[in-house]
Amino acid sequence: MTKIIVITSGKGGVGKTTTSASFAVGLAKKGYKTAVIDFDIGLRNLDLIMGCERRVVYDFVNVIRKEANLNQALIRDKHIKDLFILPASQTRDKEALTIEGVGLILAELNKTFDYIVCDSPAGIERGAQLAMYFADSAIVVTNPEVSSVRDSDRMLGLLTSKTKRAEEGRDPIEEHLLLTRYSPKRVTRGEMLSLSDVNEILAIPLLGVIPESPAVLRASNSGEPVILAEESDAGQAYADAIGRFLGEEIPHRFIAEKNHWLKRLLRFKEKEAI
Amino acid sequence: MTVSTLNAEQLSCFHFKASFSPCMILQLTRIDFDALEQQLKQTIAKAPNLFMGSPVVVDLEKIKTQGVLNFIKLKHILMSVGLVPIGVRGGNKEQHEAAIIDGLPILTNQKLTVNEKEQPAVHNTHKESTPTFAKFVTTPIRSGMQIYAKGCDLIVAAAVSPGAELLADGSIHIYGPLRGRALAGVQGNTDARIFCRTLENAELVSIAGYYLTKEDIQTNEAKDGTIQIYLDNTRVRILSL
Ligand SMILES: Nc1ncnc2c1ncn2[C@@H]1O[C@H](COP(=O)(O)OP(=O)(O)OP(=O)(O)O)[C@@H](O)[C@H]1O
Ligand SMILES: [Mg+2]
Repeated sequence: MTKIIVITSGKGGVGKTTTSASFAVGLAKKGYKTAVIDFDIGLRNLDLIMGCERRVVYDFVNVIRKEANLNQALIRDKHIKDLFILPASQTRDKEALTIEGVGLILAELNKTFDYIVCDSPAGIERGAQLAMYFADSAIVVTNPEVSSVRDSDRMLGLLTSKTKRAEEGRDPIEEHLLLTRYSPKRVTRGEMLSLSDVNEILAIPLLGVIPESPAVLRASNSGEPVILAEESDAGQAYADAIGRFLGEEIPHRFIAEKNHWLKRLLRFKEKEAI
Repeated sequence: MTVSTLNAEQLSCFHFKASFSPCMILQLTRIDFDALEQQLKQTIAKAPNLFMGSPVVVDLEKIKTQGVLNFIKLKHILMSVGLVPIGVRGGNKEQHEAAIIDGLPILTNQKLTVNEKEQPAVHNTHKESTPTFAKFVTTPIRSGMQIYAKGCDLIVAAAVSPGAELLADGSIHIYGPLRGRALAGVQGNTDARIFCRTLENAELVSIAGYYLTKEDIQTNEAKDGTIQIYLDNTRVRILSL
């Protein structure tokens, strides 16, 4: 059974595309035939992050308009077998995506792929709703700040009402929380919401916490999704999250502030003083 | 589920009744907790999946001439067999007072309340045919969502997010944290009330158009526990039970 995953958030710039790229790579590396689709019509970021921008000939909209067939538009990943990218179009016409068109493409991919990862555009309008409509599973990407949590909460409301599964009265879409750009240090300083603050409001299962990391920017500049930077904290956090998504039990990392030896010593002294 | 023969009627101390709202009515026919517990276990053993975790409203109509019962004990019995008591209906004033103190709200239909006021002597014959007495919601109410219980009470057994809004012509009962807005008696029913567990992050509470904003709520003492919000003339009051 093919599983369609939507990576969504409401708020922009929280890490949806970063997550879509790493998820697609991670699933393909585990041996699943995976397609990742850029729903962000007009912006086209995913192919940059995946490092295949120069090989884009046809795109999502060309296929919908029947100007190309799906196989012509799908780009095979350079490094990883079984990974394919369907890039977004740079057309300004946001109406170019239709629900029927998207449905047809997904049905075609359903025949041969194990996972289809849909990178949603920001917002709660048409584009975002199209990206989630056919999904079986949603990864809600949230940053530890009030506006992002509020938007994710809205998204969760839409996921329970505006999807094909909801309309057909089937089992509800699976919901997963992915907290990204998390900085334990800033949480301690009170500049960011903590994991428990976020969890309390959204109250859905936590798939993982991705730390704020310079490795992400390095990865997007080099066009290699951060999960391939295996020694980096963000890369490892994504690998863990994929493991959990596939049902493995993996303890959460990168949630606590690193205990600096000096700080530990100070704390020890404090205790002594009491 | 109704036990039909007269004989059984005399022996059995409760009936399960279907209702138009998505929760069950447990109609007590006499006060005998030991027998109740035993009989419930037997009934539920026959269809455990049907009952597990089901919300139930306890109907006191048939025992309203009897004394006050120990609702805490009743709650324990129901919960021990997997039922979730969410309130009572019917019954007398003393029973209502005891139920509220023990944390079970009184679920009364608006229309019935009016009838009761007009003619206090006869009122219980048409109760079962009342189409809805409460709208029942068990899934989280997320930011941007709005739930309206038209012509009845609203019961929410889930969290209400910031930016979400609950509206009811009748009263509102919330069993998860209330972080959004709750407006009871929106058609002007000044007897409507709001019952909730935690109010700390609520954005607004209103009864019949009179309201308290987040700032007003935060200066109030009562924020946790079982909280009742009602209208005292034109002032909205928050009371910890
Ligand atoms: N864990 C992280 N640590 C540091 N920077 C990050 C992290 N995740 C994402 N970023 C940065 O945040 C920015 C936005 O990321 P990305 O494009 O993935 O977000 P998006 O949600 O897809 O945005 P949009 O809503 O515009 O589509 C990028 O510059 C990216 O490098
Ligand atoms: Mg993006």
